[in-house]
Amino acid sequence: MTHMEIELQAIKTEVMNMWVLVESQLQKSKNAIMHFDKDLAREVVLREKRVNAFELKIDRDCEDFFAIYQPVAIDLRFLLAVMKINNNLERIGDIADGIAKYVIESLSDFDRNVFAKTGMIAMYEEAIHILTDTRTAFEKEDTALARSIFKRDEVLDGYNLAAIQNVGDCIKKDIEVLNDALYVLSIIRKLERVGDQTKNIAEEIIFYVEAKVLKHLDPKAKQNG
Amino acid sequence: MESTIVKAVNYNSYFGANHVVKDVNIEIPKNAAIAVMGPSGCGKTTFLRGINRMHELIPGATAKGQILLNGTDVMEMHPIFVRLKIGMVFQRPNPFPNLSIYDNVIAGYKLNGISLPKSERDRIVEHSLSRVALWGEVKDSLTKKGTFLSGGQQQRLCIARAVAMEPEVLLFDEPTSALDPISTSKVEELFHELKKNYTLIIVTHNMQQAARVSDKTAFFYMGELVEFDDTKNMFTNPKDTRTQNYITGRFS
Amino acid sequence: MSVQVKYRIGKSIAFQGLTILLSVLCVVPLIFILVYIIKAGVTKINWNFLTNLPKPVGETGGGIKNALLGSVEVIALSTIIAVPVGILCGIYLSEYKQSKLAYWTRLSVDILQGVPSIVIGIIAYFWIVKPMGHFSAISGSIALAIMMLPIVVRSTEETLLLLPDSLREAGYALGMPFHRVVLKVIIPCGFSGILSGVMLSVARITGETAPLLFTAFGNPYLSFDIGQPMQTLPLIIFNYATSPYNDWHDLAWGASCILLLWVLLLNILTKVISAKWKVQL
Repeated sequence: MTHMEIELQAIKTEVMNMWVLVESQLQKSKNAIMHFDKDLAREVVLREKRVNAFELKIDRDCEDFFAIYQPVAIDLRFLLAVMKINNNLERIGDIADGIAKYVIESLSDFDRNVFAKTGMIAMYEEAIHILTDTRTAFEKEDTALARSIFKRDEVLDGYNLAAIQNVGDCIKKDIEVLNDALYVLSIIRKLERVGDQTKNIAEEIIFYVEAKVLKHLDPKAKQNG
Repeated sequence: MESTIVKAVNYNSYFGANHVVKDVNIEIPKNAAIAVMGPSGCGKTTFLRGINRMHELIPGATAKGQILLNGTDVMEMHPIFVRLKIGMVFQRPNPFPNLSIYDNVIAGYKLNGISLPKSERDRIVEHSLSRVALWGEVKDSLTKKGTFLSGGQQQRLCIARAVAMEPEVLLFDEPTSALDPISTSKVEELFHELKKNYTLIIVTHNMQQAARVSDKTAFFYMGELVEFDDTKNMFTNPKDTRTQNYITGRFS
Repeated sequence: MSVQVKYRIGKSIAFQGLTILLSVLCVVPLIFILVYIIKAGVTKINWNFLTNLPKPVGETGGGIKNALLGSVEVIALSTIIAVPVGILCGIYLSEYKQSKLAYWTRLSVDILQGVPSIVIGIIAYFWIVKPMGHFSAISGSIALAIMMLPIVVRSTEETLLLLPDSLREAGYALGMPFHRVVLKVIIPCGFSGILSGVMLSVARITGETAPLLFTAFGNPYLSFDIGQPMQTLPLIIFNYATSPYNDWHDLAWGASCILLLWVLLLNILTKVISAKWKVQL
């Protein structure tokens, strides 16, 4: 391997490490909600700083790489993709952080019934799965897997669209759960954002491997194109 | 990496009345690759040739100030001794055309009249050629003339010849400017290996090359050392506007 | 094609033709000389011609053994004198091209090259023959050595100047002292050029007659004593060709033919050597 390839590999490893961290942040924020574990929530908030540090480090490494190696072709696309993926991952980290803060803010334990009725738990798990699968797609440069992400993002969108109705139903049934229901709605909105971010990441992976720009195409074209 | 091996103190050099290198102060760390870049005629090559006292071979050339090698002024050492400690590779590959590949590698011993037992010679040749990633390519044609090789191979042979003397510092005077891109990248890859054992000072007018191969970069302009910093800093955030103008190609 | 272009092409072809014609013209005199001398001389050459001493007038079958061996000895001697001095001087001129001494040396060598051979002969006569009291082979060798010197110096200098500076630098950068750079790098790399310079200078003096008239003088007997007069090929040709006897004229033609073949051989040998020993830079 040439020295340049070694440096590229180092950047890729860095991104993977950040990715794993963000996944675990999301997983932990979910656990914090499920078990109303304020300590775990505080840990997530604390570790958000590490995610931010990763973002700065990767940005800096990309900058150095551009300055020093003046990459072209696949190397150039890789770095451009990495810079955007880096950005998206940091946003997902922010989302995990935001959800953890709900746990810290909330005065009383959440009503588990609202979780179940709105499908939040399933949505949460799906969001984490999608993120993991996108990481695999990035690691293996697997564009077929990256393309499958678009469809699964639509599932998350489905949860999101149904959320108003579901949350409304819960509130109509029992006005006592109003606060919890609003928290859940916010969380569902945030998870929908996670879906968008992963979709963007999948687009970047396809751009980097195949040099195809899929942004702003309709979903059908994306899955085939 | 941080102990200093070569240090210039108020170093000046002249060609007759022409002041070519002006008051250079620089501390070069051990086991690092240092790139020296700058436009043509900025004194970078003259400075490099001052380090191993090749400068004084040119009629009319003089120097003032000190170049310290491990704390000793090279001007007070015998030039022959200096050049054994500080090897040099030139712009054009210059293997000895009358010698075989094998003899070229041990030319520093052979032509200096230092006799070595055959086993020792064999060891040095294999070791040096392996160091420059040439052993695999030439091990079956060691008796052929050095000039039989391609340009890139010849340049690596010249590096092997310098490495065979086990110097502490290796000077490179635009080592790839006569080579094609593939040979160039092979030589550049070599720098990353060589700096583990030697201190490399590489003069280049190709700033991309300076960026790629070096840990630290010195920028010379009009005979002055304008800036000397970590390569990454130099190419992302140069302190001097002249450096900025040069690396962004804004010099007219 | 327009007329103008045709006219220009025509001019080009005409010029090409002219250069070819003139180059052929250069070769013509050489061919005439070769053909004439070989025709006149080759029939005279046989084993006896080469191995017998000259006979007095009237006797047939004389040879040129003494002249042949004498020439070899005189030339060998002058080569031994001129070559080391010439090569070292050439090295100095190429290594210190800027120095004052080199400038004056180069000038002197050039002037020496232009000095007529007869003048050199006279000088050798006054400096060596007169003090010694008699003609001698050694005085002839010295005169010829003086003639060789500029050729050797300049050919050495020019050969070495053609070697790239990077070669010297390679040597110095390996910590080699000056004398080793010269002996181990410069001379081996320029060897074929230096050698061909020497060969050409030998070829050049082989036929010199004028300096030998006052020095080696000639000797009808076989002699190897460098302190005594000695016969050489040019002298025998000069003496026999200016004599009134037909027998001796024949001998002169034979000797001329031998001399010509010798020079030709040296030239060919030079070409072969410089091709074979040529160092690929």
